[in-house]
Amino acid sequence: MNEKSILKELEDIVGKDFASNNPGDLYIYSQDPGASLPRPVDFVVMPYTPKEVQDIMKLANQEKVPIIPMGGGLTLSGLVIPVKGGIVMDMKRMNKIIEVNELSRFALVEAGVTSGQLLAYLNENHPRLQPPIPDAPPSVTIAGNALIHGSGYLSQKYGDHGAMINGLEVVLPDGELYKLGSCAVSDYWFTRGPIPDFIGLFISSFGTLGIITKLSIKLFPKPKMRDIIFGLCKDPYVLPELISNITFTDVAEDILLGIQDKPDWMKGYTFIIVYITGESEEELNNKTKILKKMYRKGKSRYMKVPKRIEDIFLEKPQFAAKAADFRKGGGFEYVGAYIPLQLIPEIIQIGTDISLKHGIVPTLGARLIGQGHAAMFFISYSFNRADPEDIKNARDALHDTNKAVLEIGGIPWKAEIVGQQLMLEKMDPNYKKLLKNIKNLLDPNGIMNPGNWEVK
Amino acid sequence: MTLKTEQDWKDIVHRCFRCGYCKFTYDYSDFNCPSYKKFRFETYSTGGRMWLIYGLITGEISWSQDVANVLYACPTCGNCSENCRFDKFNDLLVDIIEAARAEAVEKGFCPERQKALIERTDNPEMYNPYGEQNSDNEDLKKEYDLPDKAEWVYYIGCTSNYRQKNLRDATLRFLKKANIDFTLIDEHCCGSPLMRTGQINSVKDLISYNIAQINDVGASKVITSCAGCYRTLKKDWPKYGADYDFQIYHTVELVKELLGDGKLNFQSEYNKTVTYHDPCHLGRHMGVYEIPREVYKQIPGIKLVEMKRNRENAWCCGAGGGVKIGYPDWSVEISKERLEEANTTGASVISSVCPFCRTNLSDANDKFDMNFEVIDLIEIIDKLDFEITDPKH
Repeated sequence: MNEKSILKELEDIVGKDFASNNPGDLYIYSQDPGASLPRPVDFVVMPYTPKEVQDIMKLANQEKVPIIPMGGGLTLSGLVIPVKGGIVMDMKRMNKIIEVNELSRFALVEAGVTSGQLLAYLNENHPRLQPPIPDAPPSVTIAGNALIHGSGYLSQKYGDHGAMINGLEVVLPDGELYKLGSCAVSDYWFTRGPIPDFIGLFISSFGTLGIITKLSIKLFPKPKMRDIIFGLCKDPYVLPELISNITFTDVAEDILLGIQDKPDWMKGYTFIIVYITGESEEELNNKTKILKKMYRKGKSRYMKVPKRIEDIFLEKPQFAAKAADFRKGGGFEYVGAYIPLQLIPEIIQIGTDISLKHGIVPTLGARLIGQGHAAMFFISYSFNRADPEDIKNARDALHDTNKAVLEIGGIPWKAEIVGQQLMLEKMDPNYKKLLKNIKNLLDPNGIMNPGNWEVK
Repeated sequence: MTLKTEQDWKDIVHRCFRCGYCKFTYDYSDFNCPSYKKFRFETYSTGGRMWLIYGLITGEISWSQDVANVLYACPTCGNCSENCRFDKFNDLLVDIIEAARAEAVEKGFCPERQKALIERTDNPEMYNPYGEQNSDNEDLKKEYDLPDKAEWVYYIGCTSNYRQKNLRDATLRFLKKANIDFTLIDEHCCGSPLMRTGQINSVKDLISYNIAQINDVGASKVITSCAGCYRTLKKDWPKYGADYDFQIYHTVELVKELLGDGKLNFQSEYNKTVTYHDPCHLGRHMGVYEIPREVYKQIPGIKLVEMKRNRENAWCCGAGGGVKIGYPDWSVEISKERLEEANTTGASVISSVCPFCRTNLSDANDKFDMNFEVIDLIEIIDKLDFEITDPKH
């Protein structure tokens, strides 16, 4: 089938307005805001129903055309830029919040529901509940974030967002619709088990196995009050124990770290940012006292910050994308490394050294995951999108960082193609074999986001 | 920050990160970009347009009619500027889109329907985008017994003069009753439709002509009942190098001033529930949100209720930016959404202070049988008895 016929087929499935090979659309979908080079796209399509997803999948499988599912498109690491051309399936027309179960605390949403949409919906209709959303802009999708093993709000207390998935509806390359989790057995999308758990296959596989059309995500209680307590630490080697001790007290909803060389007064310090919540002022005061004491005991100190700074951090989601304009250049990308806590001092040094080597002001930070079980440590590189050399420099820095992270025992998160290959090189051979076998079983024609997690 | 029409924007456009805040209301409860909400491809968000424009600048993508159409499928309502979080350049987003449209025109990719705007406005029989015979307003001057020289000029604007004559006449009656020393000029289009659609070759001539006319009558103040003209005269004319000494008022500002000074006293009631639609030209583009509301609230009997999306987050009526002429069906669909929102407030009247919003909201009201009364604030005032206590203003 030629290009014209495929477009016609896609138009027949989703309607003429939602299938495109216009140069403008292809140009936009051939790149993301990170440092990856653009790669060509053949078609963009926006389905509205699972049935349309199934029909597109059958067409792609029959014609052996690559298909790349896309949520918000803001991974920054090029995961939704086709490696081998094909159809980008933008899921954002599938944007229904199907159900919020207040008692069992989950939301069943279509794959295109944005984090902003769910946040606003809960604020208005279920004010006692809060969703797990990332630090990313509100245009990212709930499904996209959870499916890349995202982290963000509530990760310290409850774990990474991938772990909060109760159930999935997935279209596999055979065009069939599969329900995973409790919804396979019950009308309630309330839990992942207790049946054999296939959901994990679709987390961090970057659309290489199937396309998620619906997702049930856990929701959590939203305490009445929320505050933020800053700490300041000069010696990074005290951080692992200090953070671990804070998590022992159960006072922190979230814990962030921030390390920056600019402005100058921030250089040489790690800022510890602890979010506390409570039902009363008294509860917050008690938690504040506990934290102040822990900072002192942990060779750090409590830091009073101006209200305007507090407000920036208390905004949900906070405006993390501001890093893109640090150098008036419109771009940044980071290596987000999952690390055990003990690697924090080492990774601070690595991130700082690599940043300086590439002439980039060190901008590092972390989010604690699962009460100290891990940290997502990011090393961010801003670049000027108008300067190809500067973008290449950022790409090189990212590559160096991925290598260094793997060497010390960390794992790059949502890594770009090159980073994935670095991980595959280091990966246990039998794990790779399993990965390849599962991929071949579910996607024998290799149409699902090919080039990603490609076991050679 | 003022954007020059020539080069400056090219140093800014790459700074858009395409984060998507521009699509939303401030609380993310809805998409508030009419273009993205309709077309849904990322290309049709303001971020998408910024990236497309950057691609055109660098030559990574070539000009084509399809690409130009993306740039034109936007009512330039300014929601993007309002919700973009990059405050070093967010107020330039609409200017950048307009500058890119100017480039599209230069390259020969202005969409056909929008071309009618310049063909009509350049026509010496017309000088307006509606294709009507130019009114020199002499008949109106006679009808309302207006002088040749005056302190104020009522700049009617093309939409009021050729499409919303009731609004125009209500304004004329108000100004007379308020004892304003005013007159009319043989006005030509203010240039707004041409600026919005990038057809800017004649804009400076239109500005010079209108300024000369205003100066000829010795006016030190210009008042207009059109939110679009108000923005254009006050904000855009200076961008095109205009130098003038007169002050620009919207009628609602004068009404507010008269009320505030105790010179205007309403003597009858308007017993209806009214919701106010913020015109993008007056609201997001000029920052005037409270003055109209203060006037409505002082009208006896009125119950003013707010739509969920209001002020900085108001949903556009869909008429601006060349969308009314370029995409007539979509344009009234946008207004339909506004009327549906108004319907949830319990209001029977949707009111604004812009003849273009009034036109489009009325068109949707008629097309979709929405049963609203669509009316301009000055038309409401025109229905009331009022007294002006100080004869000289």
